[in-house]
Amino acid sequence: MIHAIKVAQEERLFAGKSVSVAVITRGRPPGYLRVAFSAVTGLLRGLWLTLGYLWSPEAIVTRQYPENRATLQLTERFRGNLRFKFPNEKAQEDHAAFIEQLAHETQTHAHVAADLVREENETRWYHNCTGCGKCQEACPNASIKVFTRQGEILEDREVDRFVWRLDSCMFCNACVQACPWDAIEMTGGFENAVYDRRLLVYNLNRLAGPRINYIEEEENPDVRKRMVERRDRYGGEVPLNGFALPNLPPVTTPMESGSRAIDADAQARLT
Amino acid sequence: MQFVHTMAAAAATNTTWTPQTLADRAVDSVPHSLWLTAGYFLLAVVGVAALLSFLGMALIYIERKIAAHFQCRLGPTRVGPFGLLQTLADTLKLVFKEDFVPPKADRSLHMLAPFLALLVPVVLLALIPYSPNVQVADLNIGILFITAIGGFGVMGILIAGWSSNNKWSMIGAMRAGAQIISYELSATLALLVVVLFSGTMSLTGIVLSQQEGWWIWRGHAAGFVAFLIYLVASTADLNRTPFDIPEGESELTAGFHTEYSGLRFAFFFLAEFINMFTVSALTATLFLGGWMPFHVGDWTGFNAAMDTIPPGIWFLAKTTAVIFVIMWFRWTFPRLRVDQLMHLEWKVLLPLGFANLFVAAVVVLTELYPFPLGK
Repeated sequence: MIHAIKVAQEERLFAGKSVSVAVITRGRPPGYLRVAFSAVTGLLRGLWLTLGYLWSPEAIVTRQYPENRATLQLTERFRGNLRFKFPNEKAQEDHAAFIEQLAHETQTHAHVAADLVREENETRWYHNCTGCGKCQEACPNASIKVFTRQGEILEDREVDRFVWRLDSCMFCNACVQACPWDAIEMTGGFENAVYDRRLLVYNLNRLAGPRINYIEEEENPDVRKRMVERRDRYGGEVPLNGFALPNLPPVTTPMESGSRAIDADAQARLT
Repeated sequence: MQFVHTMAAAAATNTTWTPQTLADRAVDSVPHSLWLTAGYFLLAVVGVAALLSFLGMALIYIERKIAAHFQCRLGPTRVGPFGLLQTLADTLKLVFKEDFVPPKADRSLHMLAPFLALLVPVVLLALIPYSPNVQVADLNIGILFITAIGGFGVMGILIAGWSSNNKWSMIGAMRAGAQIISYELSATLALLVVVLFSGTMSLTGIVLSQQEGWWIWRGHAAGFVAFLIYLVASTADLNRTPFDIPEGESELTAGFHTEYSGLRFAFFFLAEFINMFTVSALTATLFLGGWMPFHVGDWTGFNAAMDTIPPGIWFLAKTTAVIFVIMWFRWTFPRLRVDQLMHLEWKVLLPLGFANLFVAAVVVLTELYPFPLGK
C-alpha cells in the first residue's frame, strides 16, 4: 500500500549544536477507493506488459541451442570453463584465421576444426601465469592445483602444470578475481559431457614456462624456445585425480593418436 | 411484466433460430425408429468423449505455448511440427508411469477421486450450446443444474486430499474446499443477474434472449460488472493462478494431488483444463451471446453480414477469447495469500455481487435497456 511520504528539512538541537536533519512524515494512508483504484490499475498495467511480451517476437530470449551451435553468442557475464588467457594476440589471430580456413576446407564448424589441429606454433600459448598459487588459495572447493618448477633460464619459480578439476568446480569465479596477473578467465566452453570422470581433471596451461613478458624480453629465439616446454591437456600425472576407477584402463590422452592422423589429413587437404 | 415482455419479444424476433438438441432429436425419432434413437445417444456419448480428449490435448498445448510467449520463451518446439505432438508424448509418458497409491492411504477413495473430479466437466460439456443444432441436452433449469453440479466438483478434490493421508494434500484440499465454496456464491450471484435479464434458466433460452445485444452491455453496468465478477469468481473456482493456493507449489508441494502419479494425475490435470473450457463456454454463453452473432440495433446490413458467419464459429471465437483471458491472468498475476483470498470474496466480491443484483433488478423492472427488445 502506498503511503504519502514527505521529507522535510529541520534544524534540531543535538548536544547544544543545531544540526540539520531530514524528518520523514507519513501522511494519512490512502482511502479505500484510492487503494482499490491503484490495485486495479496495477493489475491492468501488468496485463498490458505481458501482452506486449506475447505480441513481440523480439522479446523471446530462448536460443535453439544445438541448432545454433555455430553462431552461439554467450553473454558477457557467462561463466564457462576455466581457461588460460593467451595474450599473444598476433599468434592468436593467425591461428583463428587458420582454423577458419580449415573449417571451410573440411566443411565443418570452427569448433570442430579447432579440435582437429595440433598447432605447432608455441608462441600462441604464451600466458600471464607466474605460478603464484593465489587461485589455489582462493578456491573454496580445492579444485585448482598449481605445480611450479624452477626455470632453467631465468632460475626462478614458473608454472609447470596448472591442474583444474572441473568435476568439483562450482564456477564461483573466485580464482579469476584472486589472480593478480589476469592469467585466467571463466569464458571457456560448457559442453563437458564425457564417458570417464577422470577426463574432467586436466591441465589448463599449454606451456610450462615463465610469464609472457619475461619471454618477450629475451631477444634470442633459440633461448625463447628453451624457456618453455609443451604441456598438453592430460599429459603428465594429474595428481588431483584421487579416484582411480576400478575395471577401467588408465586414462590415455585422447586425440593423441587419432587427432594427429586427422591433423595430417587436414594439412594435406590445405596444401 | 418484463418477463412476459422478454418472452414475447423473443418469440417475435427469433423466427430465424430454431435450436434443436440431440436429446430433442432422439425423442422425436422414437416413433420412427428406435435404432435412430440409439444412434443419437451413441453420437452424444462419442461426441462428448471426442470433445473431451481433443480439448485436453489442444488446451494443454495452447496453454504451454501462450505461457511460453508471455514469459519470453518459445514453448514446445521439438515434438512434431511446432511441438504439436508434445501433449501426446506427455500423455503417453503418464500412461506408462507407475500408478502409485501410498501405503497408508485410503485405497478405494484414492482411486475414485480423479474420476469424481473429471465427472463434473464431462457432464457440463453435454449442456453447453455450441451451435443451434449442436447441443446434447438443453435443461429448462440449466443454470441451476450447472451451479449444483459445479459445486459437486469440489468433492473430487476433497476426497483426493483426504484419502492421500498426507499433510500437504489435506491442507490443499481444505483450502480448495474453502475457496471453491466461497467463490461459488459470487459466481452464482453473477449468474442470477443474467437469469433476471433473460427471464429463463435454459442456456439456449439465454442465448436466444441476446439476439438484440449481448448481456455484457445490454444490462448497463450491471451486466458488465456481473461479467467481471463471474470471470474472477470462476477463475477462483478453477483453482487457477492467481487463486491457485490449493496447489501452491512453494507451500504445499502440489496440494491435493501431491500423492497422485501416472494416469490419475493426468485425470486431475485434464479435469482442470476441461473445467476451464466449460467455464469459458458458460461465460461466453451467458454474457457474450453464446453462438449468437454480433448485432447492433437497426443496422440491418451489418447484422446480415454478421449472420453469414456460422454460429459455431461465433461460439468458438468467444470461448477462445475468454480462455485466452483466463490464461492471460494466470501468467501475469502473482498468487494471493489465503487471507487475501477470503478478503476478496467476502468483503469485496460478495457485497458487490448483491449490490449488482439489486441494480439489475431495478433495470429489469424499469425496462431501462439501451437496446430495447421487440424492434
